[in-house]
Amino acid sequence: MTHAVLCEDLWKTYQRHRPLGVKTLLLGADMPRDTRFAREWALAEVGFQVPRGRSFGVIGPNGSGKTTLLSILLGTVQEDRGRVSLDGRVASLLELGAGFHGDLTGRENVFLYGSILGMRLAEIRRRFENIAEFSELEGAIEQPLRTYSAGMIARLGFSTIIHSPADILLIDEVLAVGDASFQAKCHRALREFRARSGTLVIVSHNMKEVTEVCDEGICLDLGRVVDAGPMGGVAARYQERMAAADPAKVKGGALGRP
Amino acid sequence: MFDARQTLELLYLLVKKELKVRYKNKFLGYVWALANPFAFAFVYWIAFKFIMRLEIVNYSLYLITGMFPWVWLSAGMVAGTRSFVANASLIKKAPLPRAILPLGNVAQEMVHFAFALPVIIAFLWFAGEIRPSASWIWQVPLLLALQLAFVYPLALGLALANVYVRDIEYLIGIGLSLLFFATPMVYPITMVPEAYRHWFELNPLHALMQSWRSVFLQSTLDFNHMAYAAACAAVTAVIAWLLYRKLAPRVGELV
Repeated sequence: MTHAVLCEDLWKTYQRHRPLGVKTLLLGADMPRDTRFAREWALAEVGFQVPRGRSFGVIGPNGSGKTTLLSILLGTVQEDRGRVSLDGRVASLLELGAGFHGDLTGRENVFLYGSILGMRLAEIRRRFENIAEFSELEGAIEQPLRTYSAGMIARLGFSTIIHSPADILLIDEVLAVGDASFQAKCHRALREFRARSGTLVIVSHNMKEVTEVCDEGICLDLGRVVDAGPMGGVAARYQERMAAADPAKVKGGALGRP
Repeated sequence: MFDARQTLELLYLLVKKELKVRYKNKFLGYVWALANPFAFAFVYWIAFKFIMRLEIVNYSLYLITGMFPWVWLSAGMVAGTRSFVANASLIKKAPLPRAILPLGNVAQEMVHFAFALPVIIAFLWFAGEIRPSASWIWQVPLLLALQLAFVYPLALGLALANVYVRDIEYLIGIGLSLLFFATPMVYPITMVPEAYRHWFELNPLHALMQSWRSVFLQSTLDFNHMAYAAACAAVTAVIAWLLYRKLAPRVGELV
C-alpha cells in the first residue's frame, strides 16, 4: 500500500440531542434546517488520500467536521458509511494535557501518556532521556504537573508524542505551543518525522502555518469537501471566500461556499 | 493497536496513578484506606451490640470480615460506573481499549483491600483469637480473583449504561445503600425470618460475603457460596461483554 491514510466516501451523522418533553409530543418535533451546527450529516462523501511521508492539511470554518474527521481517523468515533484505512500506528495530539494528571510529576506523566499513546514501558524508558531533553524542562520534570504553566505542559505533551513510534500523527490546532523557539523546534521535529516517512494530518485555522507545513489539503464546509488540492491554493481560495462572505449569509450557514 | 502486554502495562500505570494520587500529600496516607471500613464496623457494633444488645457471637469479627470486601465492591462499582464519563477527554483523544478504565477502578480498590489485609488479620488475631492460617496463602488470592471477576463485569456494564443514561451514577449510590441492608452484612442470615430466608440466600452478594467469612473465620472454602457467586459472575460477564460489543463503539461520541 502506498497510501498512509485513505478515506473513501466517508459519512457520519451524530444523534441529535432533542429533549423529549410534553411540547414536542403535542406539536411534533420540527426538523431543523441544515445549518452550520445543526445538520443531518456531520460528514458527507468525504474522500482523500495521503501518501506516506506527506503532510496533509484540513481547513474549514468552525463546525465543518474537521475534528470529527480526525476522530474517525484516530478510531475514537466510528464512521457510519465509507472506508478508512490507515497503514501504521496512529497517535493524536488532539488536545494537549488530556491524559495528564496534576498530582503526578512530569516524569510519571510521560510514562502514563506514553502508555496511553500505545508505547511499551520498555520503549518509554529507552526514550525518556530524549523526551526530557527535547522538552527542555530540566529539573522541573521531577515536579508535580500542577506546578507547570500551560506552555510547559504543552512542551511535555509534544515531546512525548514526537518520540512515540507512531507512523501517522494527527494534530488538531496545537502547533501553537510554547514560545517561538520551541515552536521552531516543533516544526523541525515534524520535518524530521516526515523525513523518516512519517505522515501528518493537520487541522488548523492558521493559514500561514498549514501552507508552510502541508503539501496538500482539503477544505471542509458543512461536512463536505468543498475544495481539494495543493495546500497553498486551497488556503488562498478559503481565505477569499471568507472575505467575500456576506455576514448575513454566515448565519444561514453558507459560510465559505463558492 | 494495543496488544495484551501494552494493555496490562497501561492498567498497571493507571492503577499506580490512582494510588499515588490518593496517598500523595496526605499525612496519614495508608490509614485512610482503613478508616472507612473500620468506622462503619464500629458504628454498627455500637448500635447493635452496645445499644440494642443483640446477642450475636463474635459480632465484631462478623462485621469486619464483611465490611472490607464490601467497601472494595461498592467503591469499585461507584468509581467504575463513572469511569467512562469521568475520563471523557481520554476516551475522545486516545484509541485505548475502553474496557480498561472500569477495570482500573476495580483493580485499584482491590489493591486497597489487599493493603488492608494485614490489619484485618491482626484484628482477627487480637479480637477473636483466630491465628493466621497457612491456607490463607492460597484461599485469599482465590477469593480476590473471584471478587474481581464478580465486580468488574458489573462495573463495565454500569459504566456503559451510564454513558447513555447519566442518572445511573446517582442511582448506583442509592442502590448500594439499599443492597447493603438487603445483604446480611450487619446481621447474620439466621436472624432473617425463616419464611423469607431463601430470598436472602438468592443474593449473590451474600454468597460472596459468606465466602470471605468462611475463609477468615474458619479457614475453609465455602464451595456452595463460591460456586453460586462464580456462576452469577459468569452470567454478568456474558451480559457485560455483549453490551460492550454493542455499545462501546459509540461511547467516543456520547461522553
